[in-house]
Amino acid sequence: MTARWEQVEPLLANIERPARYIDSEFGALHRPDAAYRVALLYPDTYELGMANQAIAILYDALNAIDGVAAERVFVPAPDMAAAMRGAGAPLLTLESALPVSSCDLLGITLPYELTCTNVLEALDLAGIPLYAADRGSGHALIVGGGPCAFDPEPLAPFFDAFLIGEGEEAVLDIVATHRAAVAGGLDRSGVLAALARVPGVYVPSLYEPAGDGLGVRPRAGSGAPVEVVKRVVRDLDEVRSPACPVVPYMDVVHDRATIEVLRGCTRGCRFCQAGMVYRPVRERTADSVVRDALGQLRCTGQEELSLSSLSTTDHSQIEEILRRLGAALRGRAVTVGLPSLRVDAFGVAMARLVGEGARGGLTFAPEAGTQRMRDVINKNVTEDDLFDTVRTAFDGGWRRLKLYFMLGLPTETDDDIRGIGALVSKVLHIAREATPPAQRGGMRIAVSVSTFVPKAHTPFQWEPQLTLEEVRHRQSVLRESMPRKGVELHWHDAEVSLIEGALARGGRELAPVIEHAWRAGGGFDAWTERFSLSRWLEAFAAAGVDPVALASTPREVGTPQPWSHISSGVSEAYLALERERALSGESTPDCSFDGCTDCGACPQLGVDIVLAGGARG
Amino acid sequence: MADAAFRLRVTYGKTGRLRFLSHLEVAHACERAVRRTGLGYAVTQGFNPRMRIAFGPALPVGSAGVAEAYDLWLSRLVPAAEALEMVLVATPAGLAPVDARYVSDKEPSLTAALTLGEYEVVVEDPGMGPGRLAEALADVVGSGSLTIEHKGAMKAYDLAVCLPEGAQVGEEPGRATARMVVHMGPWGSLRPEALVREALGRMDARSASMTVTRVALRPMEG
Repeated sequence: MTARWEQVEPLLANIERPARYIDSEFGALHRPDAAYRVALLYPDTYELGMANQAIAILYDALNAIDGVAAERVFVPAPDMAAAMRGAGAPLLTLESALPVSSCDLLGITLPYELTCTNVLEALDLAGIPLYAADRGSGHALIVGGGPCAFDPEPLAPFFDAFLIGEGEEAVLDIVATHRAAVAGGLDRSGVLAALARVPGVYVPSLYEPAGDGLGVRPRAGSGAPVEVVKRVVRDLDEVRSPACPVVPYMDVVHDRATIEVLRGCTRGCRFCQAGMVYRPVRERTADSVVRDALGQLRCTGQEELSLSSLSTTDHSQIEEILRRLGAALRGRAVTVGLPSLRVDAFGVAMARLVGEGARGGLTFAPEAGTQRMRDVINKNVTEDDLFDTVRTAFDGGWRRLKLYFMLGLPTETDDDIRGIGALVSKVLHIAREATPPAQRGGMRIAVSVSTFVPKAHTPFQWEPQLTLEEVRHRQSVLRESMPRKGVELHWHDAEVSLIEGALARGGRELAPVIEHAWRAGGGFDAWTERFSLSRWLEAFAAAGVDPVALASTPREVGTPQPWSHISSGVSEAYLALERERALSGESTPDCSFDGCTDCGACPQLGVDIVLAGGARG
Repeated sequence: MADAAFRLRVTYGKTGRLRFLSHLEVAHACERAVRRTGLGYAVTQGFNPRMRIAFGPALPVGSAGVAEAYDLWLSRLVPAAEALEMVLVATPAGLAPVDARYVSDKEPSLTAALTLGEYEVVVEDPGMGPGRLAEALADVVGSGSLTIEHKGAMKAYDLAVCLPEGAQVGEEPGRATARMVVHMGPWGSLRPEALVREALGRMDARSASMTVTRVALRPMEG
């Protein structure tokens, strides 16, 4: 295969943001002589994909293997895709401009449901048959991973395999197995059978409908496991963290150096899929965080550092980390960011440590407006916690605040919604009282409200999602209860949530829906301006699937779900117990602070909580 | 501002694939390259401290340059040749620096000083007859003004002001090279390719491909 850059270059003069397609960034790795080539696709544009940590981690890990090249692929924006089709140019990898179809393996991360149409767009642009059943030995192996792989069925017919869970070590096993199988002369089915024996790998073509509900089971004689258990890294300090990630030219989302300080969060919010599927908590030590952060800043030249995780201020050594970084970075015009803050004085104190003042905004997620509702979702934050935190922040000079809430949570009533308005009114009052009158003009309080979507592997996986009409009713209740002035209110589009919910709870019957939606012009559906509810409803109708029934029908605990053969380590019994506790308003403590709550993840996965400082408190 | 700051003028290219970068992307990339060097750079004071670095006139997306410039204020004096080597190692090849020298802090800013840009526009079109581009360009220049659409707005350029030396064309089979000096000022910066495209339009050769290179930047007096 020869590089096709000359086919793409002439197109760049007439399209938007050509920097998406030119490669040549500092840190991009070129391995022209590699015997085995992996294309890593993020199913959206360059500027979104370059923010994705999974791609950065796997790019680094795979390129470290002798004889292996990993190259990046992003979905061309519609103008470029049209130009490429017009010129007969296939989808190319960035680094060597080789056709994606010529690679040995195409890894696709699946960050959220609505990127599904972009997966098909990429396969089609690459000239790769959409359905795994239509692919043979000459085709690239298509492997999915990431959050949506925990409910892989809607995309199952398009993929040869999925990796469930964490990729750092598993991708090495997958590549080694694939290379050995090909070297051993195995055909496509032999390769797939070999992959199915790699822990954490799910090969959908080896499974069939179980016949007793929505689940699937291994075909007789396939040798595939009844349950695919997620891969997990025992100790984050034992795996490579990207030392010098690619430095983009264009202004990408989250354009900064990123160090993952810990993985997993066991606060136990009952709607949160990430909090359930990335257990247990594993912290990196302060020494390794500081060393790698400074190394990455030095190597990339980035001017901003993010300490990322699901709950960074929970790290048992966070204060030490921030003080050491602050001392090392003084006078270098480097800013340090904390992506998520605890709703307490400690969270504000940590923000102050990195903020050198209070120029940025603070973001908190109370999620619900009444204590009853917060107990149902296990958000262990009281009104007083929030008020004290806001008072401390505005006393300390902060003027911008963002609050996240959810609408449509299980058991929610109109009173709970009005509770959000009442809570925001009090926050506004406290913030004003703490702000000198002359500075009140600079106050910004934003409230962002999303719609609850029941997700697989959570205690709320059996709960129904609100119908579109009900969401609109509740949004109007909320609008009426919000303060008239002083608050910017943002919604998550209810129509998008409906489709997201249907895709999040469905099985293989959704593959033709996705294909239909893509063929009818879908793509970039996660972009509000490109999303079309009518196109999706037509696609569901054409396939004879009712999206409202899929998203909004309660399910029986104990009946098989489309994702029942996938295990995150957390037992179904624990999820069911958590659901019961939710319905009785009972909270569950965080095991990383208060001891084991028997979710099952540690024994099932053979790992343990790793706290760098020994204990949290 | 840092107590001591040494103003290093770096001349660099914007070539190859990196000609597709915007001015902001180039500036950002150069700033990050400086951070990677380990050179001590001066930082602005105030609410949002930034590296003290200032760029010359912008080059649009798609246009190459071989003698672009930025001024970088260093907090520690490093021999210019050494600094050049350090920046070279840390910079992607398409933005490689070619020269670095210290200049007085009293000198005007690059954008104030360098108001003339010398351009070469190479037009590839096998069907173009000899002398035709020169003729069409002379026609456009002779008309005295050029009105072009940019981001939905119409803008008129006085060609007597913008093109103080007119435009010259060199030809070889299937290929013509237009050379011109563009005077940048409060009226903006005429894009040479817009002028050439207008000429090609008059020749009915709109499909010809074009590559634009700014070969030099200089002050008005020079």
